[in-house]
Amino acid sequence: MIVTYNWLKEFVDFDLPPSKLADLLTMLGLEVEGVTPCGEGMDDVVVALVEERAQHPNADKLSLCRVNNGKEVLSIVCGAQNFKAGDKVALAQIGATLPGDFKIKRSKIRGEESCGMLCSEKELGLADESAGIMILPADLPLGLPVFAALGLKDTIFEIGLTPNRADCLSVIGIAREIAAKLGTKISHPAFTLTDNGPSINDKASVVIEDPQLCPRYTARYIEGCRIAPSPRWLVNRLNAVGMRSINNVVDVTNYVLLEYGHPLHAFDFNLLAGGKIIVKRAGEGEKFTTLDGQERTLTANDLTIRDASRGVALAGIMGGENSEIKDNTTNILLESAYFNPTAIRLTSKRLGLHTESSHRFERGADIAVLARVLDRAAALIAELAGGTIAQGLIDVHPSPVLPRTITAHLDRINRTLGITLTADQVITIFHNLEFAVTQTEPGIMAVTVPLFRVDLEREIDLIEEVARLHGFENIPATMPKARVFSDRPPRSQRMERDVRSLLVAQGFNEVINFSFIAPDAYERLLLPPDDPRRSAVKLLNPLVAEQSVMRTTLLPSLLETAAANISHRELNLRLFELRRVYHPRPGEELPAEPLHIAAIMTGRREPEGWCQGSDMVDFYDAKGIAETLLSSLQMPPMEYSKEAPEPFYHPGKCCTILSGGRPVGTLGEIHPDVQENFSLSQPVYYLELDFNRLLSHVHERGSVQAPSRYPDVARDIAMLLAEETPATRVLECIHGLRLKELDNVTIFDLYKGEHVPAGQKSLAIRVRYRSPERTLTDDEVTRSHQRVIDALTAKLNITVR
Amino acid sequence: MKDKLEALLVQATADLALADSEDAVQELRVRYLGKKGELTAVMKGIGALSPEERPLIGQVVNTVRDQLEECLSAALATVRSRSKALRLQSERLDVTMPGRLRPMGTKHPVTLVTEEIADIFAGLGFQVAEGPEIELDYYNFEALNFPKDHPARDMQDTFFVDDNVLLRTHTSPVQIRTMLKHAPPVRIIAPGTVYRCDSDATHSPMFHQVEGLMVDKGITFGDLKGILTIFVTQLFGSGTGVRLRPSFFPFTEPSAEVDIACVICKGKGCRVCKNTGWLEILGAGMVDPEVFRHVQYDPASISGFAFGMGIERIAMLKYGIGDMRLLFENDLRFLRQF
Repeated sequence: MIVTYNWLKEFVDFDLPPSKLADLLTMLGLEVEGVTPCGEGMDDVVVALVEERAQHPNADKLSLCRVNNGKEVLSIVCGAQNFKAGDKVALAQIGATLPGDFKIKRSKIRGEESCGMLCSEKELGLADESAGIMILPADLPLGLPVFAALGLKDTIFEIGLTPNRADCLSVIGIAREIAAKLGTKISHPAFTLTDNGPSINDKASVVIEDPQLCPRYTARYIEGCRIAPSPRWLVNRLNAVGMRSINNVVDVTNYVLLEYGHPLHAFDFNLLAGGKIIVKRAGEGEKFTTLDGQERTLTANDLTIRDASRGVALAGIMGGENSEIKDNTTNILLESAYFNPTAIRLTSKRLGLHTESSHRFERGADIAVLARVLDRAAALIAELAGGTIAQGLIDVHPSPVLPRTITAHLDRINRTLGITLTADQVITIFHNLEFAVTQTEPGIMAVTVPLFRVDLEREIDLIEEVARLHGFENIPATMPKARVFSDRPPRSQRMERDVRSLLVAQGFNEVINFSFIAPDAYERLLLPPDDPRRSAVKLLNPLVAEQSVMRTTLLPSLLETAAANISHRELNLRLFELRRVYHPRPGEELPAEPLHIAAIMTGRREPEGWCQGSDMVDFYDAKGIAETLLSSLQMPPMEYSKEAPEPFYHPGKCCTILSGGRPVGTLGEIHPDVQENFSLSQPVYYLELDFNRLLSHVHERGSVQAPSRYPDVARDIAMLLAEETPATRVLECIHGLRLKELDNVTIFDLYKGEHVPAGQKSLAIRVRYRSPERTLTDDEVTRSHQRVIDALTAKLNITVR
Repeated sequence: MKDKLEALLVQATADLALADSEDAVQELRVRYLGKKGELTAVMKGIGALSPEERPLIGQVVNTVRDQLEECLSAALATVRSRSKALRLQSERLDVTMPGRLRPMGTKHPVTLVTEEIADIFAGLGFQVAEGPEIELDYYNFEALNFPKDHPARDMQDTFFVDDNVLLRTHTSPVQIRTMLKHAPPVRIIAPGTVYRCDSDATHSPMFHQVEGLMVDKGITFGDLKGILTIFVTQLFGSGTGVRLRPSFFPFTEPSAEVDIACVICKGKGCRVCKNTGWLEILGAGMVDPEVFRHVQYDPASISGFAFGMGIERIAMLKYGIGDMRLLFENDLRFLRQF
């Protein structure tokens, strides 16, 4: 909503500069989002008289003028043609700055001196287009700043209204708020209505066929109008609030709309068949052309205004082309009606037709103000367009609505807000808001709310009014008197933080990708047609197709993020994401939203540098990350299985991670085809874990063991064994012996190739023996070690090299 | 013999003075004190001495040996310390060469701000609650007093899955889910991902909010002011101005927008705060009785407040980020700065 300082002053008396007024409105809940001074710094543009206009000696299209600014007569060169000697004009004097930071300087134009510029409305920022310079009314005194002389010095406030404040979609509504805060009263526009024409009932009739959707309809008839451009004051007002002037009659309906917030519509009466207005729903599929020239198809839920034969307006939204005011219109039927908010909203939304009128009706108009607004507009039309107002008005109001009375309890007001107002203070606030109050018992008030406040229905609504008018700033900040209770954050929340910290410590940067992805992503991941991850939640109204399905795996987003970073030469990446994925559940309305951990790595193992290694990351880097992460999270030992490989991994370089036989994630090198599908030019390693499944495997840290004080003995075994035997079997076999003296086993070499028979591999392990109780003897170690070798030989058929 | 021994000592002292390495000193030790050394050689003559002379000379031999030992040790210490000094002098690194790096990663700024907010409220006794992102219309709108076909729904452009299922437009449905599950008192915050169909420099179709809810006996609007003032002070530093001004949300009444004094211009007025000196950072209010009705709480016996804020907005203010889209482009050059 846009209002101006001067306009507000017409209805309420206040003594506040614009900046203070803006603060007052904002603190009332009418947020001022912009304050624009109009005519500020334009005092060097003054009223001046053209005393002489002569042809410029050196240019056909220019004139050389002598212009009197009240103090002196200046020589001015001007290119416009629309003026003559004796006209009063707007002179921008030397030193003036016009909109667009255009500075006026003394200059010579084709050899003649020019001490200023005669301005057009466009140059002064008063209009979008101008045909020539601005000719001012002859009665303006010379030398006065033009903006002040025309009453254009003003301040424009842009107010962001919340949808509950329908009453403030008008200058008077906002003035009323100022008055309420300042404890004064507003004054309504003064006008004299002379309805001395023929009786309206002889001319027109109104029938409401659907009182549900149109509870009240008022109308006046004005005959013999002359459609003409509006006077300057009206044009200026409309321009100031960003509305275009059309003609005197339409401008009046718009002006009164802005003034009172109530939409009006003017029909060309001669085009209304039978002089009739019938308010009823449209026929299903009916075609109707609104005055913006668009043909629209209506439904039986759309309310229309009709004459004896056809629709003439889309009720409360827009008039029809067939009955709009044109230059040759003479007789006018003026409508001021009330329409059901929901009906207006549904039609407006369905047609995508949002107007000043529909905006107000769908928020709730003031059903009580109809006749006053109608009279105000009729009087103004008669004043500006001539014409005679028919006697009387039509007011169809089958079941009048009465104002609502709400009970307010003083103690509830104070208890809710944490303040201690007296009944008198509260009653004063209500009175200032134009509410009627009777105190039925001490501290209990019956509050009657005027019909323009459609937002007030309950006691809490009145409590809010008290808070607003008392001022939020005057409510003391306190600490709650609350019961003490506390729980630790649940394990899942602590584990989320741990996962992030652990991955950050491993050099991973956290990313956040959109939850919605392109529908072809699953294709590019090579997921088979029956893969459950393909049945993702789809959006009905995505912004773009690339963001239209909810992701069921984090992989595509991370591949795209990696590709984007690689494209600006970030070749060494470690990225992770800890976010939800969305898995539809059969028979459930809402999908499951398990949290997933995904990490991607590519490029060098260590950052580039003079003392850094230059190896590239490989499968075992990714696996190491998984192992470190899982053990730090106190997960039980995991099984890394080659079974059930994912289609998006290199078939020989991937695994499923299992805990207790249940998969909790996968890791591997991205399949070269998938790599290509995501425009990745280098090998990429990926890891995705199901956070929720991991959570169910967390085990509490058991009791720890004191370190042994005795020395260890290390024995190495270099062995040959079948290539397909997984290394983990070697470790399992050794641990399976449950040797008391076994401290730990590490694999320190793996070799295939020369000197190793085909189908075999060479594995070297170091076994450490140590007792917590004593120093082991050489014999004891040898005995244990032999058991290890024997077991490996028996179970895995190894050959010691 | 005594002269010989003394000459030996003099000679050894002179030789040692010339020894410039540990090896040279060891060589001299062998030469003078070794089994075939010069002292041994001199001592071979002891047998030829008279019994009276022997103890005397023996004493001299011992003295000389002790002195030789001392000189050798001293010489050894000298050459060692000299060679250590030499080594320390010659071993020189360019300490400005970069170290061997294993850089840490970074948390996403949205995570950093979320954790900071959660920590502040944890200190005030607020638990973290969660709810689904794909949500029923009922929890996202209906139970929060957004009637169907009401203009209030225009405040939030919604992504729909079907007529009844949508991507939550705010974290407020967590209020409803929490109250349905727990009897009062309730004291939660609910950080989470939310969605609206809107995309430009200050709007992202996916963003994050933190919701807060406190319900108990006798909670007042003044308490809401108190809690939010503490929160703002903790997040933006003590002395940060806070103001609450009236606003409208269907699920709170009275409702407030909460502004902080502009962190860029300190309230003087700048481009970021549109010359108002204030920055809007959260919405809040007393829980509307209609919401309590939906969760079967009795508004006559309890009251509460709720608030919600955009995490990106706070991250942008804290880190001076001008374009929200940067937060979701995941450009490493951006992420590394956190």
